[in-house]
Amino acid sequence: MNETVCISGVELLMDYLDGVLSADVKAALDAHVAGCQRCTAFVASYLATARILRDATDASLPAAVEESLAAFLRARTNAFRSR
Amino acid sequence: MNGGPAQEPSDETLVARAAAGDDSAFETIVTRYQARVFRLACRLTSETDAPDVLQETFLQVYRHLPSFRGESQFRTWLYRIASNAALMHRRAATRRRSEPLDEFLPKFDAHGQHVATPAELQVASRADELLDRQFLAGKAREIIAELPDVYRDAFVLRDLEEMSTEEVASALGVTPATVRQRAHRARLILRGYLSELVGVKP
Repeated sequence: MNETVCISGVELLMDYLDGVLSADVKAALDAHVAGCQRCTAFVASYLATARILRDATDASLPAAVEESLAAFLRARTNAFRSR
Repeated sequence: MNGGPAQEPSDETLVARAAAGDDSAFETIVTRYQARVFRLACRLTSETDAPDVLQETFLQVYRHLPSFRGESQFRTWLYRIASNAALMHRRAATRRRSEPLDEFLPKFDAHGQHVATPAELQVASRADELLDRQFLAGKAREIIAELPDVYRDAFVLRDLEEMSTEEVASALGVTPATVRQRAHRARLILRGYLSELVGVKP
């Protein structure tokens, strides 16, 4: 990579975060992002996306669904017979 | 899992006992994983379809446990079954988005520089502070449902269920590089979508 620009940083971001980039590419990317306000802001929002959507889509198991599951398995398997 | 007075049996122990016909071991597996499978099913389908996916998943587990070889972790195998069950349900009720999702990808000028300003690029990271919780929850489920299947599976398992890239690759039967590429694409789209929700161009 001769000159790292925002677009290549975006393309390589997942590989960067997963630690599968070569040392020289990683160093070039670090140098670019450190001096680029746009990329610094972009990386922050990229990282936040997973967290925000994880929280927004959390779901707990309703008691009625749990009971239906046990009844379903009781009817079709040998399990949950003693409940 | 150690240090407690009554140590919980490991997945491996329970799976071996259940595979040998111990139904109480299977019940313990269900109790241990039902909430996680339900949450995964909600993320991969919808709250309406998730109870059916949950039932189908554990029925498949019961039937196929005797042939589970332990080549992957039990959890990986379980999530593979759940992902497939979810896919079957999605096939039954497929919704397609009218506009292409590419509109949410970041934009660059001729020099490869971000078109948006730093403030505009930053704003998606505050979507949860800026938007009503219920509204965001509804929109999040909507846009995840509209992702192409392969992007949704990779993103949900990797980022929402927080599995490792290797574990997701094993669950989906693809290479780690493919998981990275698909999860990355989904993140870019979803990041842009959050930006639009708070009124800023991606």
